[in-house]
Amino acid sequence: MPRRKVSIIGAGNVGATAAYYVAEKVIADIVMVDVIEGMTQAKALDFLHAGPMRRYDVSIRGTSDFSEILDSDVVVITAGLPRKPGMDRMDLLKVNADIVKSAAQNIAKYSPNSTVIVVSNPLDIMCHVAFRTTGFAVQRVVGMAGILDSTRFRYFVAQELGCALTDVHAMVLGGHGDQMVPLPRFTTVAGIPITQMLDKSAIDRMVDRTRKGGAEIVAYLKTGSAYYAPAASVAEMVEAIITDRKTLAPCACYLRGEYEIENLFIGVPALLGKNGIERIVELDLEREEMNLLKESANAVRKGVDDLNTFFSLR
Amino acid sequence: MKKVGIIGSGNVGANSAFFIAENRTASVTLVDIKEGLSVGKALDILEAGPIRRYDTDIRGENSIEGIRDSDVVVLAAGRVRAPDQSRDELYKDNAPLILHLCEDIKRLAPGAVVINVVEPVDMITLLAQKTLGFDRMRVLGVGGLLSTTRLRYLISNFLGVSSREVTGMVIGPHRPSMVFLQDTIRVSGIPADKLLPPEAMEAIIEEVRKAGDTILQMAQRSTAYYAPSAAVAALVEAIVRDTRKILPVSIRLEGEYEVNGIAVSVPAQIGEKGAERVIPVRMSAREQKEFLAAANELCESLNRVTC
Repeated sequence: MPRRKVSIIGAGNVGATAAYYVAEKVIADIVMVDVIEGMTQAKALDFLHAGPMRRYDVSIRGTSDFSEILDSDVVVITAGLPRKPGMDRMDLLKVNADIVKSAAQNIAKYSPNSTVIVVSNPLDIMCHVAFRTTGFAVQRVVGMAGILDSTRFRYFVAQELGCALTDVHAMVLGGHGDQMVPLPRFTTVAGIPITQMLDKSAIDRMVDRTRKGGAEIVAYLKTGSAYYAPAASVAEMVEAIITDRKTLAPCACYLRGEYEIENLFIGVPALLGKNGIERIVELDLEREEMNLLKESANAVRKGVDDLNTFFSLR
Repeated sequence: MKKVGIIGSGNVGANSAFFIAENRTASVTLVDIKEGLSVGKALDILEAGPIRRYDTDIRGENSIEGIRDSDVVVLAAGRVRAPDQSRDELYKDNAPLILHLCEDIKRLAPGAVVINVVEPVDMITLLAQKTLGFDRMRVLGVGGLLSTTRLRYLISNFLGVSSREVTGMVIGPHRPSMVFLQDTIRVSGIPADKLLPPEAMEAIIEEVRKAGDTILQMAQRSTAYYAPSAAVAALVEAIVRDTRKILPVSIRLEGEYEVNGIAVSVPAQIGEKGAERVIPVRMSAREQKEFLAAANELCESLNRVTC
């Protein structure tokens, strides 16, 4: 079997840290691409220097030449601008849609058989851009969101209960934003639903904190946003695909009728393996959970409409 | 670094030492009355270290004195079950040795948490706890944890999903009457009964009930030891790193789960003091009935062997 290859487009904090986590897993060679000349080369070299101590020996390259992503197994798109003061949602959408579109064109050209993981925000909308631009099968374009939201939820549950982090599993569906849908019924400690261990007010508090998990960190940092947990989430997805781990985790997937949602990227439980999204699991949601998911889907749909307006204007 | 003393350097004892070495969580001393066995196994494990990348301190001693001042003592001595041997017969074989070893543990490692993996595990765990006179929360038997890892594997294998996200909880006596808590059997929080047909679930549960026997029948001369050793290493890690993981372990109950005076597996939060608390889990009426029936069956067995 040839050596596996993962390319990461965008070498900011999320992209570079994801490259580092993937390197530590020793499962694939890594190419980091960024339009900013020199920065990716520097970061790649720095990672390589740490290898003898951290015990990874994969190849890590930094480049600003997109052709170097040639024949990647997985390509991660982290490129895009964070929202700046004074920018509204539509401004951010426009700027990042162009960046993601350009990345997706390069992916289609140089790595036509890859699986694409989208990380750029607004996440669910950028998944649409990548999906349409690459023309890839639905199984091979997946967004990173639910796995991040659920790792935050897992951490909060473990803290609240004073139990081991590794015992906690969580499920968070919906779009990646304030309208995400954490599901306490499917959130467990050693298989025991948290609804048996915590009262409603404690669960509500954690659900709320999960929804605002990204904002909580932005509020501390002031001029930056979270990147360790997002990068760890990316690495988990990369590993599931590269090593065919068949991980069941919430991911943004293109739905065609599942959960009564048509033609929209939104977070649902998905089985990740060598073919990308190998299966979407449909949970029996209670009415209230279903309503929350639909509201979340409506918000994403509005963003897609904005996107369509934007692209048709040009 | 915390110290783990393992009594018995047979397959379970030696492989437990090996898994603990790989986890790099504690130093280990293996002891066995068979001259040279512990020293040889320890040396073999140490010599694999450069390739396997652990530098854990593993020692072998011919004398029980080697367990002195251990933070955790693992009871892995005695006989394993022979094909066609009953659990009652096995208890009679192993009980005298356990009585003897518990006196040594009291003398050499009075503050230790004791993990028992000697079969029949619930009966021997109770015997050890009584003989040691230790707080019952410091004497834990490997039972439900072993069946749970088998269950998790079989579920993941059937569904073609990673076993890391599969949870489950098997409680009650470590014999075919063990109890499966259906609602805890999940994949990434999603109930497994939504993902696999009821016949498949039943078949898997039957396989777990007789998993030990299946391996014994195949191997004839030895019982399973990789999964049992992995369960020991998981318990050791939870104790020495004080992880507070919730694991099903055999523990003498005093009213929890409506059972009194015998040891069977129940979910417990594990930390540096052993079991920090028994976790109550909601059971269906059927599970509750099965649990009490299984506990009664174990009581009858205990009555037979102690008469």
